[in-house]
Amino acid sequence: MFDKTSPSEMIVHIGPQHPMQPGPYRLNVKLHGESVVDLDVEVGYIHKGIEKILESKTYLQGITIVDRMCYLAALSNEEVFCGCVERLAGIEPTPRSKYIRVIAEELSRMQSHLLGFGEFGHFIGYSSMFMFTIKDREDVLTLIEMLTGARITHSYLRFGGVRGDIPEGFEEKCDEVFKSVRKACDEYEGLLKSDTVFKERSVGVGVLTPEIAKEYGVAGPALRATGVPFDIRRNEPYLVYDELDFNVCTQKEGDIFARIKVRIDEIRESMYIIEQALDQLPKGPLFPEGTPYSKRTPVMRVPQGEVFFRVEDPRGEMGMYMVSDGSDKPHRVKVRGPVFPTMQALPPLIRGESIADVTAIAGSMDGCTSEVDR
Amino acid sequence: MDAKKIIDSISTEFPDSISNTLIDSDIRISAYVSASDVVNVCKYLKDNLQFDHLSCESVVDYIDRDELENVYHIASYIHPVVLTLKAILPRDNPEIESIVEVYWNANWYERENYELFGVKYINHPDLRHLVLPEEMLGEWPLRKDYEGFPQNTAKNLV
Repeated sequence: MFDKTSPSEMIVHIGPQHPMQPGPYRLNVKLHGESVVDLDVEVGYIHKGIEKILESKTYLQGITIVDRMCYLAALSNEEVFCGCVERLAGIEPTPRSKYIRVIAEELSRMQSHLLGFGEFGHFIGYSSMFMFTIKDREDVLTLIEMLTGARITHSYLRFGGVRGDIPEGFEEKCDEVFKSVRKACDEYEGLLKSDTVFKERSVGVGVLTPEIAKEYGVAGPALRATGVPFDIRRNEPYLVYDELDFNVCTQKEGDIFARIKVRIDEIRESMYIIEQALDQLPKGPLFPEGTPYSKRTPVMRVPQGEVFFRVEDPRGEMGMYMVSDGSDKPHRVKVRGPVFPTMQALPPLIRGESIADVTAIAGSMDGCTSEVDR
Repeated sequence: MDAKKIIDSISTEFPDSISNTLIDSDIRISAYVSASDVVNVCKYLKDNLQFDHLSCESVVDYIDRDELENVYHIASYIHPVVLTLKAILPRDNPEIESIVEVYWNANWYERENYELFGVKYINHPDLRHLVLPEEMLGEWPLRKDYEGFPQNTAKNLV
């Protein structure tokens, strides 16, 4: 926290509860007139101590806990946790379950981005956008529900496989939903490009250059909007991403508009990936045969060792560092979330901007406070 | 960039402070670094070996050995190799030089490690609490010998 240094300055607190914030965090903004002189971010309002909880739960119980880290990226969180355990224990998932995981995670990316830019519309006073995208997100959530049985927190992945197979009629339903989402994406892009108010608020605002974005460690769509083609799915392929064809969506400008555009492009790319995965889906069992791993894995001991594994979360690079001491519970789990460094980069990014743009810039990062605090 | 080349490069540049190097796979390598030389090693990695991205900084409590390990995961936007650097610190009064001057985003990671484990970062620009309330400084809740909250909650209730 800082103090006022002159009578012409004012300190405004935005949050922790504010309609223009995706989650509880507090921005302490020091103003001179309308421009921001200094900014301080306070987090920790929903600190859950997930890293500590994981140390006292067995590996199987851990899957349910990591779900709660970020409700928009629950499947990516499960992937990074299960991936760590699989690498430590030397389990290789079956080809079919790898493809199903890709489908589930890309669906989760679609719903996250749909909420992300809909919410951003709401932040800058364009509430209709939120109403539009939430309808499409509902359709995508229905697909996820068909597959996993739950809408927000799934507990769907297991070590070496997934809990359930693709249900009857899933492919047809996908075709139907993707048709409407594709149409909607084109519509949103047209809307955003033609709306002068939206353009005023987003073009050339909150500009990040590639050098600055790398220096601050900003991840995901915000980094790719500056033109850096950094995507863990491409740089360090996991699951079957090296067998699938997809583009790493980038833009050059690095402003808010570019971030929104990257998100819309990524929704399209995700649909393309899912269609390929459904076409190529191999037949076979969900769990490796001749091993004890199944839907209900009994208490398992993981060999001593440590691993650092990264996946591409809807918001960027998600990493996990897991240390095992040979017992049935992890010795230490460190979660490296993508929003943590992005939140940290807010003060230098917002300093010097006008107060009206503060929520627009913070909102365009699509931050998930739940994951920053853990 | 090749994993072996990176290991050779840092071990020849810092023969005294780099030890126990390990090539885990093509993209995962690790090494122990002496706590006094962390900033120099990081500078060298950033300037000469394209390690321009601090992915993560964390602490692991090894209570049996009476040691803390400060772990840096240093990655790159150009090549997929992730280097795990570990510095061993004593459990009572652990201190290490901050690497914020090299990697800007180490700031919050170090603040978090400070409040959860009590590792003091020397020359850190703003070392204070991050996700926990300020009163909890000194409890170091992620250490293995942390006794939990029951007695604290009861204290608050009375």
